[in-house]
Amino acid sequence: MKTEPRSLDWAVIGASGFIGLRAVEGLHGRDGVNIRPVVRAASSLAVLARRRLDWRIADPRDLPALAEALRGCPVCIHAALGDPGQIEQMATVAYLACAAAGVRRLVWLSSASVHGQDAAPGTDESSPLHDRHPLAYNNAKVRAERRLEHLARDGRVEVVRLRPGVVYGPRSRWITDAAADLRAGRAGWLEQGRGVCNAIHVDNLVHAIRLAAIIPGAAGQAFLVGDAETVTWRDFLLPLAAHLGLPASAFAELPPSEIIPERAAPLAALTRTRVYQRLGDAVPDRAKRLVKGLAAAWPAPAPARDAWTLPSPPAARLTLEQTLLQRCAWKLPHAKAARLLGYAPPVPFAAGLAASLEWLDFAEGRK
Amino acid sequence: MNPPHAPVPLALVGCGAVSRLFYRPALRELKRHGLVDVIAVVDPRTEARDPLARELGAAACATLDEALALRPALVAIATPPALHRAQAEASFAAACAVLCEKPLAANGVDADAIVAAAARSGRLLAAGHYKRFFPAHRALKTLIERQTFGPLLEATLFEGGKFSWPAATDSFFRREQTPGGVLLDIGVHALDLLRWWLGDPTDFAYADDALDGLEANARLEATFADGARVRLRLSRDWRTENVYVFRFARAVVHCRVNASNQLEITLDDLPLTLAAELRHPLPAEPAPPTRALETNPQAFIAQLIDVCAALRENRAPFVPGAEGALALRWVEACYARRTALPLH
Repeated sequence: MKTEPRSLDWAVIGASGFIGLRAVEGLHGRDGVNIRPVVRAASSLAVLARRRLDWRIADPRDLPALAEALRGCPVCIHAALGDPGQIEQMATVAYLACAAAGVRRLVWLSSASVHGQDAAPGTDESSPLHDRHPLAYNNAKVRAERRLEHLARDGRVEVVRLRPGVVYGPRSRWITDAAADLRAGRAGWLEQGRGVCNAIHVDNLVHAIRLAAIIPGAAGQAFLVGDAETVTWRDFLLPLAAHLGLPASAFAELPPSEIIPERAAPLAALTRTRVYQRLGDAVPDRAKRLVKGLAAAWPAPAPARDAWTLPSPPAARLTLEQTLLQRCAWKLPHAKAARLLGYAPPVPFAAGLAASLEWLDFAEGRK
Repeated sequence: MNPPHAPVPLALVGCGAVSRLFYRPALRELKRHGLVDVIAVVDPRTEARDPLARELGAAACATLDEALALRPALVAIATPPALHRAQAEASFAAACAVLCEKPLAANGVDADAIVAAAARSGRLLAAGHYKRFFPAHRALKTLIERQTFGPLLEATLFEGGKFSWPAATDSFFRREQTPGGVLLDIGVHALDLLRWWLGDPTDFAYADDALDGLEANARLEATFADGARVRLRLSRDWRTENVYVFRFARAVVHCRVNASNQLEITLDDLPLTLAAELRHPLPAEPAPPTRALETNPQAFIAQLIDVCAALRENRAPFVPGAEGALALRWVEACYARRTALPLH
């Protein structure tokens, strides 16, 4: 009996982002797999174009365009970023596009934040999820997972959900933002950074993505994934400060603060409305980024200065997300991923952090 | 502006991002001042050419031949580099002058062919290296040549950021259509400026991070005849400082990328930095402040004004086409000597 040749094209949606780009570069050519990057706009190809790749341009919220882009791929990895409204919308569109294109398995990049940034001790994949987190992003990720679970009941596409924690590595905001805060004199931490940092090097995540794409028993499952080591924020941040020539005292000790839901939440709610989603397609991405920037700046407006004000050193601060993360006292387990996927993170924490700092030197022109 | 001459009839070839973002406002302004008459815009895509044609009051042409039949005096070529040679040669054959966007061509052979075709036809060829029109860049040339702060010892140039040019298609990233990455894109401007300021390098080393595609990060280290050492870092991957730093014997000058009329000057014996807007010179007597020199968009307009004036006055343009060919030859020489940057 003749069999159809099995396609080894895997699509990566959101291929120009931090995780998507690394997935493309880490998986292309491995085990004979050809990666097909899917990006929203031609301008997103700038770094991907370092290789000759068979890319497609499609908006991850445009069902017909996305289905066309995925055609012929048995595996689709979804790593696209978006605002809370887009995250939920993209989950539905991704599933339906995969179903229409005949994709066998969808690997959905969810987040450990579905359990909250300061997950309660004992949390694992079996812990019930809720969408009452103070961060709209977490709630969107929860709702997206729920949508996928619901849609996958029709059995047309296998869905595997990965829940990484703090993903670091080259191009990671956890490296660049921390470096910028340190240099600007506004770095701070809670309790000397003793909270647990549920870190995962991006190459460990790419390893997990590959396993999630190929291991038969993974279908329908969600997996927490992280580095092998249990590390604190102190372990994460101090080497970075030292690399920049700064002592531990560069981090101001900040008092525990009350957790108030982010002020941008009403904006996040707006992004989930049908009106916004329709309008959203007509609004240029540059304008959206501007709005996002304004919303991000909203919780901490810069105080107005007049001619009689002497310049003050910047105040140390943590975002709501950082505050929640640094309160965490629980190392999220990846025992389930180890058991069902055979996940064993190949990059040790120290090596992953060193490589991230090496990249920082390169990006800032020191190497 | 009150031109004593008739407006220059101009055809704009290519209706992509550079035409929309640069040529459209510049030509609109020059038309308002009676310096040019845009008689045709050319693009095979109706949706690209029609709005631009309407806005500029020009004929919308699907092909260059249609536009040349309308007898423009000047053809501005703003298409993918692989098309430049054929379009420039056709324009010269139709007795038109040409302003060709950078890079002058897809490769050095084509660039030389364009320069030769211009010479054979006796028509003007200008290279679209409009950054030579930045007042800050002109000032740097003067500082280097006159050694106002002593000789230039070294320069470090960081340029680029996450790619955000609103490319209409992916032709920008396909080697068949655009044979280089960040070095050919923004780097060709920097290489043109370095040649203009310092002459040809005596030696250089080049590295980039292309695999079998187009580079997103590039590094050039060059030495020039007077001993000045230059280090250039380019990226379309990650935000750089976007600044050129010049270390002279007695001062350091910072020139921010695209800040056309600004310089920051730190004199060795003065414990402060002068962050200066460049203006028309003041007389040595009490006088009100003078006007600022050209901004980035005004520098782009200045290039078009220069080409139109050169055409009328039968002189060479400020940036002749041969200069564009030499910058492109240096880009090619870099690729020929390429070593690999670490892939991050």
